[in-house]
Amino acid sequence: MLTCRSLRKDYVTERGEVAAVAGIDLEIAAGRYAAIIGRSGSGKSSLMAMIGGLSRPSQGQVSVDGTDIWSLSENALAAFRNKRIGYVFQFASLLPTLRLVDNVALPAMLGGARSSAPYARAAALLGQMGLGDHLDAYPSEVSAGEQRRAVIARALINEPALILADEPTSDLDEQTEIEIMDELLAVNRERGTTLILVTHNLALAEQAEQIVHIAHGAIVP
Amino acid sequence: MRLLASLALQNLGRRKARSLLLIMAVAVASGVVFTGATLMRSIDSSMAVGFTRLGADMMAVPEGALTNITAALLTVEPTDLVLDRDLFARAGIASVSRAAPQKIARVEHSGIGSHHDSVDLIGFDPTLDFTVQPWLVEKINRDMRPGDVILGAARDAPLGSELLIFGKPHTIYGRLGKTGVGTHERGVFMTFDTLEALAGSVRGHGGRPPAVLQKGKVSGFLVELAPGATPLQARFAILSTLKGVKVVSGDSTMSGIRQGLAALLNGILALMVLMFASTALMVSVLFSAIVTERRGELGLLKAIGARRGQIVGMMVIEAVIATGAGGLLGVALGVLVMRLYERSLVYYLENIGVPFVWLDGPRIVIVAVAAVVMASIIGALGSLYPAWRASRRDPYDLVRGEG
Repeated sequence: MLTCRSLRKDYVTERGEVAAVAGIDLEIAAGRYAAIIGRSGSGKSSLMAMIGGLSRPSQGQVSVDGTDIWSLSENALAAFRNKRIGYVFQFASLLPTLRLVDNVALPAMLGGARSSAPYARAAALLGQMGLGDHLDAYPSEVSAGEQRRAVIARALINEPALILADEPTSDLDEQTEIEIMDELLAVNRERGTTLILVTHNLALAEQAEQIVHIAHGAIVP
Repeated sequence: MRLLASLALQNLGRRKARSLLLIMAVAVASGVVFTGATLMRSIDSSMAVGFTRLGADMMAVPEGALTNITAALLTVEPTDLVLDRDLFARAGIASVSRAAPQKIARVEHSGIGSHHDSVDLIGFDPTLDFTVQPWLVEKINRDMRPGDVILGAARDAPLGSELLIFGKPHTIYGRLGKTGVGTHERGVFMTFDTLEALAGSVRGHGGRPPAVLQKGKVSGFLVELAPGATPLQARFAILSTLKGVKVVSGDSTMSGIRQGLAALLNGILALMVLMFASTALMVSVLFSAIVTERRGELGLLKAIGARRGQIVGMMVIEAVIATGAGGLLGVALGVLVMRLYERSLVYYLENIGVPFVWLDGPRIVIVAVAAVVMASIIGALGSLYPAWRASRRDPYDLVRGEG
């Protein structure tokens, strides 16, 4: 269960303080597929960053399965992100100097796992994503869609409870977009992983079990 | 740790030209510091030997003694008058750095040379001496023992062979180089104990052994000024403190050069410290730029669970690898430079009579290791602040390029 209470994010700009997220209350049940939709600048990415432990709220609480994540120490929060949350960003987020298999194994390695187990798991996940022949390839040697599939594999390496995908298909062609969404939905259905998708694509959001519509930093009823 | 080191190495490999430039910059600084430190210490000890070969700054002899002073104060002159051996040790004169006591007995029929040759038997204290041992050009590979003698340059005999003095066997321990000073070149040098042991064989005026061969008595002292002290100050201090003493000065120019050299070497040391400080600043600026360039990746690493310590560790390891490699390269370059130096300046110095004494192997290794360690520390310090700043940012800010 994900719970947000009075969640607020203010940014200081030259014109003064701007509320990107203006006091949001939200609940998303475990195992659900939820879509956060809204226009560019509506505050949906800022909301996702606070939910994912990536950006400290100006005010309010985020609770994941009963853990108030922003009350954790810095190292505990890092460990929480590592073990409980998988991220799929809207940009190519693989480290260019690492092979695909290294990139996928990296979160497990950062979490302190021994190298043989993460690599076996990384190879298996890449195989499931149809990248079994590209384990040793560098990100620059595969297509944008294959890179995104590798990112999904990386998000799954520590078997997280929650996957946050911030416009994961915005720079992909239609066919690749469908393939990537199929992968994410399969993860949600088959593993019971909570999936929160941030998108401005209403067609993608329509498949969600819960839709959260954001405008001007607030939920639109 | 292995993971962080591996990431750091891969990051260095991404921008090969920049990494090489950083390594080269650190190599130049480390090379200069390594070469500078090694040469400075070598020149320091060479000059110490060179200057002591030029003799003492002044000489203290009994008041009534006739002295035939030479430009180089290497030995005291033979005289019937004596001073107490511990005269300077008791007085503790601040303007005097070292006072080396010597006893000298001019003897005939000693068995050295032809029958009527007069020979100067010179006793010295190896622990206080600074005018005899610097001239040793060859010696047996052990410390000097009772019964050992050192021959002046004008005398020739194989090292380790036996030399009879008044029928008593002595071992030739070493031989001195040419000094141009007759007393020094024709002398036979030995410890006080060895010389005093000959007292029963040497007859002076009135058939008694010369007073200088008595225990605790010496012919005079060779005196070296303390740093910063002038010959006039030392002369005044000696005469006002010690009774029955006459002071004979040598060439004051050399005292000035000796003291000036110490100041120059300290200045070089300060320049080397400044060089290392500027390198640390350069590394810091470079790593600030690297952090800015890579903030997206750092944000990503934080997002997938890297702790602050891991982020800082990765950046610091990267810097330490680059600067450590620079340090190693610098030491290698330094060794090459010193090879060139050896063939030119060392040759020149030795031609003018100043022996160039390299630091011994273990000390050079210590300086080399210190240069590499310093370079690595500079890398760590230079990268620490930019890395620490980046590690404090929220992952989302870094990913969005706002770190």
